[in-house]
Amino acid sequence: MAYKYLGKSYIRPDAINKVTGKAVFLDDIRLPGMLHAAILRPQFAHARILSIDISEAEQCPGVVKVVTGKGCTYRYGDNIRDLVPMAIEKVRYIGEPVAAVIADTPRHAYAALDKIKVEYDPLPVYIDARQAMSEDAVLIHEELGEYWHLPTLNPKPGTNIANVYHLKKGRGEEGFEEADVIIEGEFNYPLGSCAALEPHGSIVWFKEDRTIEIWSSSICPFIIRDDIAHSYGVPVSDVRVHIPDIGGCFGYKSDITVEQTVAWIASFVPGRPVKWVASRKEDITSTLLAHGIRTVMKIGAKRNGKLVALKTTVYHSGGAYSDTAVNVTIAATHNSTGPYEFEHCDLTGYTVYTNTPPVGAYRGYGHPESQFATERMMDLLARKLNIDPFELRRKNYLREGSINSLGERMWKSNGDIEKCADRVQEVLFSQPKKKEDDQFYYGRGFAAVMKSPKGAPFSTKGCYMKMNIDGSVSVNMGGAEVGQGLRTVVRQIAAEALKIPPEKVRCYNEIDTQFSPYEWQTIGSMFTMQGGRAIVRAAEKLIQGLKKTAAQVLRTDEDYLEYDGEYVYLRSDPSIRVPVTQLARGYITDNGITIGDLAQSVADARLPRYSNPDQNGQGSLGVTYTFGAQAAEIRIEKKTGKIYVDHFASVFDVGQVINPLQIRGSVLGGVTMAIGAALYEEVKFDEQGRILNPHYFQYHIPTYKEAPRQTIEFIETPDPIGAFGARGIGEHSVIGAPPAILNAIYDAIGVDFYEIPVTPEKIKQALEARQEKEYA
Amino acid sequence: MTEKISFTINGEYRSVEIDEETMVIDVIRDMLDLTGTKRGCDNATCGTCVIVMNGKAVKSCNTPASKMQGADILTIEGMAKGTELHPIQKAIAESGAVQCGFCTPGIVMELHALLESKPDAGETELANALNKHLCRCTGYEPIRDGALIAQQIIRERMTEKA
Repeated sequence: MAYKYLGKSYIRPDAINKVTGKAVFLDDIRLPGMLHAAILRPQFAHARILSIDISEAEQCPGVVKVVTGKGCTYRYGDNIRDLVPMAIEKVRYIGEPVAAVIADTPRHAYAALDKIKVEYDPLPVYIDARQAMSEDAVLIHEELGEYWHLPTLNPKPGTNIANVYHLKKGRGEEGFEEADVIIEGEFNYPLGSCAALEPHGSIVWFKEDRTIEIWSSSICPFIIRDDIAHSYGVPVSDVRVHIPDIGGCFGYKSDITVEQTVAWIASFVPGRPVKWVASRKEDITSTLLAHGIRTVMKIGAKRNGKLVALKTTVYHSGGAYSDTAVNVTIAATHNSTGPYEFEHCDLTGYTVYTNTPPVGAYRGYGHPESQFATERMMDLLARKLNIDPFELRRKNYLREGSINSLGERMWKSNGDIEKCADRVQEVLFSQPKKKEDDQFYYGRGFAAVMKSPKGAPFSTKGCYMKMNIDGSVSVNMGGAEVGQGLRTVVRQIAAEALKIPPEKVRCYNEIDTQFSPYEWQTIGSMFTMQGGRAIVRAAEKLIQGLKKTAAQVLRTDEDYLEYDGEYVYLRSDPSIRVPVTQLARGYITDNGITIGDLAQSVADARLPRYSNPDQNGQGSLGVTYTFGAQAAEIRIEKKTGKIYVDHFASVFDVGQVINPLQIRGSVLGGVTMAIGAALYEEVKFDEQGRILNPHYFQYHIPTYKEAPRQTIEFIETPDPIGAFGARGIGEHSVIGAPPAILNAIYDAIGVDFYEIPVTPEKIKQALEARQEKEYA
Repeated sequence: MTEKISFTINGEYRSVEIDEETMVIDVIRDMLDLTGTKRGCDNATCGTCVIVMNGKAVKSCNTPASKMQGADILTIEGMAKGTELHPIQKAIAESGAVQCGFCTPGIVMELHALLESKPDAGETELANALNKHLCRCTGYEPIRDGALIAQQIIRERMTEKA
């Protein structure tokens, strides 16, 4: 369908502020009387706190207050209430807040931090889920049985298992009886960091009038508001949360995290705003980490390649607190089918407490981690069955009429994965592979992917819209702009729905819970789809309001009127009309008597028919899916073992492209990030739970020279759920890169890798082992 | 031990008091409130803090403030003339190089140092300059596109002058 303002590359409304340095990020905010906090972290990753001596720190220059967790009586969390703002009797990971200094300057605060003396009694440290699950493991949370949790969760008190999710489809594991061939594998997606360029941070101000005002580099202002109100026993309306510009998120600035710690600290100095901004080191040691997912997978298939049964066990090293990890585990588990239909599924996901920083969302939310296993397994199965891997996948894709693991029926409108796969195959596999030469091995690998949003029952997005007296429109929403370009999308969708040029739509800038409409959190690649639908609904209401006023002016029925962005007019005679500029404040008649209402509207939209899982772990938990295919063309340097990604192709069925420049940018960035996961990135721990690489020069993320050439294309099968047919795409591009690259490594050197990152050392080891085998 | 230093920043003459621990970024962000320069890491790895000092791109987070004495400094705030953007800013804004925007000021300043002194900089020089900056959002391609557009505009401007 042809749209006037969609499918065009308008420049983002925040671009000028960002290139002139005028965008205001959290650390750029200065408030009257503002103090600065520095936070003490423990020397042990798991220990009882015996004593804390703050007396010397209190005497240091500039120090206003030294704070510990003593006296904290509440826990927080939205899924499982296991979190504390500051360690009370025990520390459970190396980056946990133990004490804090509030001072006039950050320098004074950090100087005094060294003077705090803490005595610990160390406890055994568990880095990996399976260590922590062993029968004799010391409990990380003795109180697990007492924690409030969502009724859909299933914690195991007396163990380190924070939650078990199980899904059964068809005959479950018995389904393997119908298989001719069974293959098994174990895959690891290690702990990583979102590593956004802007470190996390917050400002919290307990005011004298007992209201609380907060600024945070976060994408969930309404969760922060509701949680802080709950923890401090004040009405939700007395907590005001501002979200300034955000310097990247990729997941870890969702959910409530550092805000509770800064609030606890600030609560000791009422009347003074307190700012805390993470150092890069703290951003890795003390905010949410990512992944930590080990997937054990078994696939059963017929000899002809028809998939029959899937058994997956996800062991998720969820970190010291599981509130933000449980849903990642669940998403990883039920999406471990990848984009394929299995008649029988037996899928289990364990979220396990470990002595590592808590794991939270990371772009892809469980999908990249378990589909890394699925897409490696598909290549292994193809080899075992001696079937072309493209053909094997084609036989099994989820398509119109198939039923996924959750029991959801796929519709034609879910998109066309075959078209995506065929196109990627054409782009990267139609020419013969480059032959090995003196310097390099060459390889190509493929992966097909899918992702659902991972919503929640109350995951709605609101929209306030008002038309001004010149016909321009102000749109106000609660969606957080982290760089994904959501404000451009708001502008274009509102323009299309209101039939006015995008230049006449001005989109909200900062989010302020006092003025912004409710939004659950800006997560799950849902904004364009759900937020877009809220905009369309609001536009329809606004137009209806204009017509209602115009009906009085033109003395006719509302449904006899048309609207074109400039006028409301009679359907039969467009010359009988009234301009919208005369309707925006109500219509002022000749003698000044005004009729009709202000041209404004309110709407919201959620995932339609999203449901909780039933006793089989099934239900309408996905609602909408974006499918796609990706492939890598790589080169392995013989001398160094270094992998170069020369060309990466991605094709996704996104329903409708809103902004071609931005959607390409989203995929370019996602693929680059995932190349980082495949080749470089892993947060490393020693046996004592200390993080060995909490800096950018140690935790290497891809640089300019490491970014590959990319082919990016889109298929457009409209989705009736999204605005103008658009589907989510924000996270999807990260899913396919690691399996595609590892499949390409096999293609290049005939070695199978089962975990990432595949570093040059690992390649060199593999090549040497291969050589020894040849000589033997 | 504090000392007084004076310098020109974005065309204005300024004096501040510093001590031996003060870094250029502290002067810029905390004393002069020029918050467009960003702090993204602890050890001069990410490039978000880059400014132009005496025509050269400098990481302000690990440069002692004493080096500012008598220097001519340009930060992101000094690039545009009113609403008229510098060609680098315009190109970067329009090429899709801006997503979250946190790395943007550093990259704009890096390109300024390179292209204003070497408008004919080749692919390798451009790559070496941009490789000093981390970006987690864009996959770098749109930054390269923006840099090349900016280079084109700067060259044309110089030809017109000549």
